[in-house]
Amino acid sequence: MNPILSVEGVTAGYGRVTVLHDISLEAGRFGNVGLFGPNGHGKTTLLRAISGLLQPKSGRILFDGQDIAGHSARAIVGAGLIHVPQGNRLFPDLSIADCMALGAYSPRARPHEAENREKVIKLFPKLAERWRQRVRTLSGGERQMVSIGTALMSHPRLLILDEPTLGLAPKIKDELCASVMDISRGGVPLIVVEQDIEFLLELTQQLYLVNHGAVATEIKPGESLDHGEIMSMYFGH
Amino acid sequence: MSALAEILFGGLFQGSLYAMMAVGLALVWTTIGVFNFSHGVFMMLGAYIAWQLVELGLPAAVAFPIAVVVMAGVGWILQASVVRPLIGRPNIVLVVVITTLAAGSLIENGALTVWGPRSKQIPALIAGNTTIGGVGVSLHQIAIIVITPLILAALWMFLNRTRLGLALRAVAQNEDAGHLVGLNVTALYGLAFAIAASLAGLAGIFMGGYRFMSPVMGSDPLLKALIVVVFGGISSISGPIFAAYLIGFFEAACSYYFGLYWTPALLFGVLILTLMVRPEGIFASRSRGLA
Repeated sequence: MNPILSVEGVTAGYGRVTVLHDISLEAGRFGNVGLFGPNGHGKTTLLRAISGLLQPKSGRILFDGQDIAGHSARAIVGAGLIHVPQGNRLFPDLSIADCMALGAYSPRARPHEAENREKVIKLFPKLAERWRQRVRTLSGGERQMVSIGTALMSHPRLLILDEPTLGLAPKIKDELCASVMDISRGGVPLIVVEQDIEFLLELTQQLYLVNHGAVATEIKPGESLDHGEIMSMYFGH
Repeated sequence: MSALAEILFGGLFQGSLYAMMAVGLALVWTTIGVFNFSHGVFMMLGAYIAWQLVELGLPAAVAFPIAVVVMAGVGWILQASVVRPLIGRPNIVLVVVITTLAAGSLIENGALTVWGPRSKQIPALIAGNTTIGGVGVSLHQIAIIVITPLILAALWMFLNRTRLGLALRAVAQNEDAGHLVGLNVTALYGLAFAIAASLAGLAGIFMGGYRFMSPVMGSDPLLKALIVVVFGGISSISGPIFAAYLIGFFEAACSYYFGLYWTPALLFGVLILTLMVRPEGIFASRSRGLA
């Protein structure tokens, strides 16, 4: 299977600060991909470069064979690469209904709006109960559901989740993990950034340890790892 | 009885003009997060373009809508030239105050060069006068009092009932998230400016049919609109609308009881008091957003 996304030698950063140093990785060849590693080492920056929020300084980002490096976020959303950013800040004063309508904003997603809305409601029945409520009045877990639901409304061909369980209670984490698993089984490949390694091991088949703005270690399927080994990667040998 | 009628009528009329101005300021602030100091010049330019078109022989019913549409283009161009290039820079709020003030000054002096300093007037929306509750009023003013709420209601419907309006409200709340659902953020910024300029231009046309026009006719309404948005809170568009009418009534009452001379001082008293007691504005919620 060809990778749906391949990042080839991308360098990116903010102003004069370079965060990503010639980073390369692939997603979609072996199923879902997990990214982990210490904070402040470029995971979020990588996602921002992939989704067009940040223009990479050099390198190629191939999505389904097309180089999307430097394209606008709108064009990338239009191609079906959907990024759920960290921290579920979203649109605090819009209702859930509004967020779902916005998710279906791109011309590619518009014809699938009704069908995707049903999928979201099936996946997160709680949202239907609060359909007209403002996002700011929801709990952290519900806001994360809205974030992911909005992304599903965009009819993703590849879904990128940045720390979806950040700040959530363990029980809600488990529920969310099950929902994300459902999305994956529905045929949408995932890239997930997560600090919770258990969550990643359950959800993904291929792992990258991102350290100092580059891939430090790649873990392919079959090369299973135990928790202790990952911890030692995190904290050095 | 006639005192009350006079204050009520004056308040509604002034409030209408202020609301049209203040809504545009609030729209630009909530979506882009900048304050547009060329807003008063939009008002002047709308009136002058309408005057020019009428002068060329077009009937008012054709000239006025054309002027409003042209103003949308002017707003878009101004945004693209002196606001958009600065987005993402540090101190953008202050920098845009300076660039829009500069652009406004250039346009104002351009108007002075092109059209000259002599006062002009454009046709009233409806000619003639009538008497209500013992107060003589022009039909033009009544037309403004009736039309303004309709336009503001239409704007509200646009923002709250259409997908494009939803996109504008969304980008006002979270620009990055707007990018990530595929919104054309640059175009939405342009749209916010275009709508604001159109409304200001229309306010100018309203005013030009009632008072004499001059190239500096926009500066006083801009100042009043500033008081309105500080008083009502600039973080929504409904706040400034209510505030505009309140300030309109306040101004009308002040000029009735204390005279025109004291009115500006009293208005600024309200401004200072608001800034001291409730700096976010009396109708403001804590966050930025259009509703």
